[in-house]
Amino acid sequence: MSAGFFRLGRFRVDLLAVLPFLLLILMWRTLPSLTGMPEYMFPTIGAVWDKAVELTANGQLQDNILDSLGRLFLAFLIGNALAVPIGIAIALNRSASDFLRPVLTFLQSIAGVAWVPLAVIWFGIGMGSVVFVIANTIFFSTLYNTVAGVESIPKVLHRAVRSHGGRGWALYSELILPGAFVNILLGLRIAMARGWHALVGAEMIAGSNGLGYMTMEAVQWYQSSTIVLGILCIGCLWLAMDQLIFRPLERRTVVRWGMVRQ
Amino acid sequence: MKTAAINDRNSGIASLRSLVSPRAWKGVLGLLGILALWQTSIPLIGVSEYFYPSPAAVARAAIHLVKTGILPAYIGDSLGRYLAGVSIGVTLGILFGLLIGFSAGASRMLSPIINFFFAIVEVAWIPLFVLWWGYGLKVILVALSYIVFFPVLYNTILGVRSVPQVLINAAYSLGATRLQLIQEVILPAALPSIFTGLRLGAGFAFRGLIFSEMIAAKSGVGYLIFEGASNQQTDRTIVGMIVMGLLWLFIERIYIRPLEALTVDRWGLATRAEDRE
Repeated sequence: MSAGFFRLGRFRVDLLAVLPFLLLILMWRTLPSLTGMPEYMFPTIGAVWDKAVELTANGQLQDNILDSLGRLFLAFLIGNALAVPIGIAIALNRSASDFLRPVLTFLQSIAGVAWVPLAVIWFGIGMGSVVFVIANTIFFSTLYNTVAGVESIPKVLHRAVRSHGGRGWALYSELILPGAFVNILLGLRIAMARGWHALVGAEMIAGSNGLGYMTMEAVQWYQSSTIVLGILCIGCLWLAMDQLIFRPLERRTVVRWGMVRQ
Repeated sequence: MKTAAINDRNSGIASLRSLVSPRAWKGVLGLLGILALWQTSIPLIGVSEYFYPSPAAVARAAIHLVKTGILPAYIGDSLGRYLAGVSIGVTLGILFGLLIGFSAGASRMLSPIINFFFAIVEVAWIPLFVLWWGYGLKVILVALSYIVFFPVLYNTILGVRSVPQVLINAAYSLGATRLQLIQEVILPAALPSIFTGLRLGAGFAFRGLIFSEMIAAKSGVGYLIFEGASNQQTDRTIVGMIVMGLLWLFIERIYIRPLEALTVDRWGLATRAEDRE
């Protein structure tokens, strides 16, 4: 089975896996002449690299990345800070849940980028409307997972805690928060992924800076190398966040406690 | 025949009961309560219609949009784009999923490049698509199929790989050809998993539809939401948002649930969330 592999430092590289990438590059280079699409629409690796160097040297790339991440972080805090307590309250209160569920289901189905135009009217182009849209997306994602988490706690445990005299704060700290924690934690990662989508989308429509804005703005100036650079940054940043923050967080907590399989 | 009729009657009674159950009524009350709250907050907040339109204004805008035929046409456009994009994505997802799940060589070759593309969210591609093809249908269709492709693909692979080897051996020893094996064993066994992927992808794709219509279309529900706001007709934007929510509920009920019922439920392979309550 070791045929087709070669070593590159510590890594074993699968030649078969490299093949599609080479094919992709070849296609990228030959498409303009084959389809008659203009050359500038398919920037070379060198051009994208030059653009990356240029935008890093004048600080634009870092600024845009930091703006985007800052917004995501702020909206993540706002959305979750609202969603977790409201989610717990809804899950614990039968009649609140009966009244609110259809409303929330409906709002959840329109959460996200559909709010961008209205957000622009309310908050203007830029920071405010983008944060509103991401926080809205994250709120509904986490709300759903919090309600599911609290409802997954077996009724027996509720009765057990109560019969041992647990009420008030003890009920929350000993039963509800730890019981719902796994779902909430797993939900945070999904919320972050949805928030990232919403961030890029909202910045494209309503941003005045940030990665999404940078990528969409480049279309007007036919700056294909900036567009490809933007695409790569958006992909790499998400991978980095997922691998460096959420995977280790899950390994340290949920997986270690044996609550989900790896 | 007889049992079917009895089942029909029972389910009829059950749905009638759920219609008048206190829970359903409370839900309706909740919706009406929000509407009442919205209407009474108008004079209290006291900002312009443009900034915060009333439910009455939204209802008027909706009636106007229906009378002029704009809204039905937009809904038709959106639905058509959605179904076309999702169908392309599902077909490609299942094909590649079968290929990768079935063949170790294909998996070695294709998995890395597919993971590479999966890491790049579809939203990020839209500027490049617009540069390549201009604003229009092509951008929307490619974006939608891109969104649906990955969840269907990954779940198809999962489904194919979880078919017990014994079943595959059994089919082969009974003289099945490769095509028969896929038709008779692999596909039915992988179907619940494929549907999980389809459900996920269908939800993501609906958001993607609205977003790409905002950017790249001159009709459709996403365009209505976007255009209303830029023409200072905020009531139209809200009509668009409400229609978007209703359209999604409609798609879920009309397309996704029955498909599930037709395939998965028939073989008793999956339970819906409501059934477990």
